[in-house]
Amino acid sequence: MGESLEALATPITMGILYGGLYVVIALGLSLVFGVMKVINVAHGDFVILGSYFAYVVLTSRGVDPILSLGVGIPLFFILGVLVQRLLLYRAFKMSTDAALIIAFGISLIIQNAAQLAWTPMSKSLQTSYSFESYQVGQVYIPLVYLLDFIVAVIVVVVVHQFLQRSYLGQAITAASQDRQTAELMGINPATVYQHAFGIAIALAAVAGVFLGLTFPFNPISGVPFLIIAFGVIILGGLGSMAGTFIGGMIFGLSQSLGGHFWGPTGQLLVPFVMVLVILTIRPQGLFGR
Amino acid sequence: MSEAALLWVNNIDVFYENLQVLWDVSLEVRSGEMVAIAGANGAGKSTLLKTISGLMHPARGIINFNGQEITRLPAYEIVSLGISHAPEGRKPFPEMTVLQNLMIGSYNQKARSCRKENLEKVYEIFPLLKKRKNQLAKTLSGGEQQMLVIGRGLMSNPRILIIDEMSLGLSPIFVRELFLVLHNIKTQGISILLVEQNVWQTLHEADRAYIMETGRIVLSGNARDLCEEEEVRNAYFGT
Repeated sequence: MGESLEALATPITMGILYGGLYVVIALGLSLVFGVMKVINVAHGDFVILGSYFAYVVLTSRGVDPILSLGVGIPLFFILGVLVQRLLLYRAFKMSTDAALIIAFGISLIIQNAAQLAWTPMSKSLQTSYSFESYQVGQVYIPLVYLLDFIVAVIVVVVVHQFLQRSYLGQAITAASQDRQTAELMGINPATVYQHAFGIAIALAAVAGVFLGLTFPFNPISGVPFLIIAFGVIILGGLGSMAGTFIGGMIFGLSQSLGGHFWGPTGQLLVPFVMVLVILTIRPQGLFGR
Repeated sequence: MSEAALLWVNNIDVFYENLQVLWDVSLEVRSGEMVAIAGANGAGKSTLLKTISGLMHPARGIINFNGQEITRLPAYEIVSLGISHAPEGRKPFPEMTVLQNLMIGSYNQKARSCRKENLEKVYEIFPLLKKRKNQLAKTLSGGEQQMLVIGRGLMSNPRILIIDEMSLGLSPIFVRELFLVLHNIKTQGISILLVEQNVWQTLHEADRAYIMETGRIVLSGNARDLCEEEEVRNAYFGT
């Protein structure tokens, strides 16, 4: 090995840190899949919509993107509830396939509306701390990457506590394990779907802000992030909180190491080869049941 | 309909899509009574229970509970009226702890206020559940899971407890113990409606029974009397 460990320290640290972003995106995707057994293929687009929301608030009012979440989280929660109630649930009552097609339609609408509103050009959330970084030994840690990780930890802890301790969280947990028996407990499935979807879209708003602080984004950036989040869920094991967290870290890590050794082509190739290898050894994912 | 009927199922027809599975089924359960529905696999017993608890709805006929019509109510509303259904195959929530399973049993608004007392009662009936309260439900044995599911059913503060195939896959001694528990629950004024393939034992435990065959009720009456019936003996006991 010609490469010293010091040279690898930076990509390793960066990968783990921005893996946090994937954790937050994947969490929203798996929350909805857990209860509805529908992959919300528009989830990545909702994330990018979250980035644009922060962009608009930042450029028009000068409000810091992280602070804008004070409005963004409730707003996106309501958006999620409405989308679920007015669009997805109606299709879902017919079949899960119909809901999937509706979700695909929502994805196309968000992408095209974003192109009309904000042009296809890439944007980013530029703040006073965008280029700040800390030096630890040989490693430079950009502040926004550190924030990605911290936010992932906060979101995982909060969502976990919510699911374990609150009435509604337990209802969502029960419904994702056995929908019919949950109904026999007095749990209204429509209420559970609405709240789960609302929370997922609120999480998309959170992910969108930190994505925009970390990477440039354009109207179709949501698609690769959806695929990455899907990979993270498969890697970690469906329905496992710890799995999603570790899955996100591993995905970020293999992506940054892949980029380090093989350049841009390795960036996505390596993590997905990784997913394939883990699936071969453990088809239920690392923490799957 | 007799005066004292708590649950009253009147001439219901039930379909799965276009396939009729229940024909003109009527049944009643009075307060504090243990009633059994017995019959072979595929006779429509579980479908009947699902229709009572609102997971399915009849195409014709009426279901009344405690003087109120519940024919078209969804399952999640029916449970708060006092009908608790422990479904076929036990089905605790596998990735939730024993305590969480019991707590979710009292999810409906009416049961929430008395969740503490009910939990104490359940722990009194099944002390083992208290010992296992922080264990995931999937790590319990079949018998323990059945205790958990009965306990979870009691947490909803029911007036009637419906149990589908309680004894399936459990040892006879253990089933005997569960029946003792059910008799104890009955004395607290909770009616019990059981579905069983184990016709012999069920008829010896229940007050009244209905025998189902291919979607119809073919016999009904006092459980002890049914044991003596020629038809029942020939069909189920082989004597």
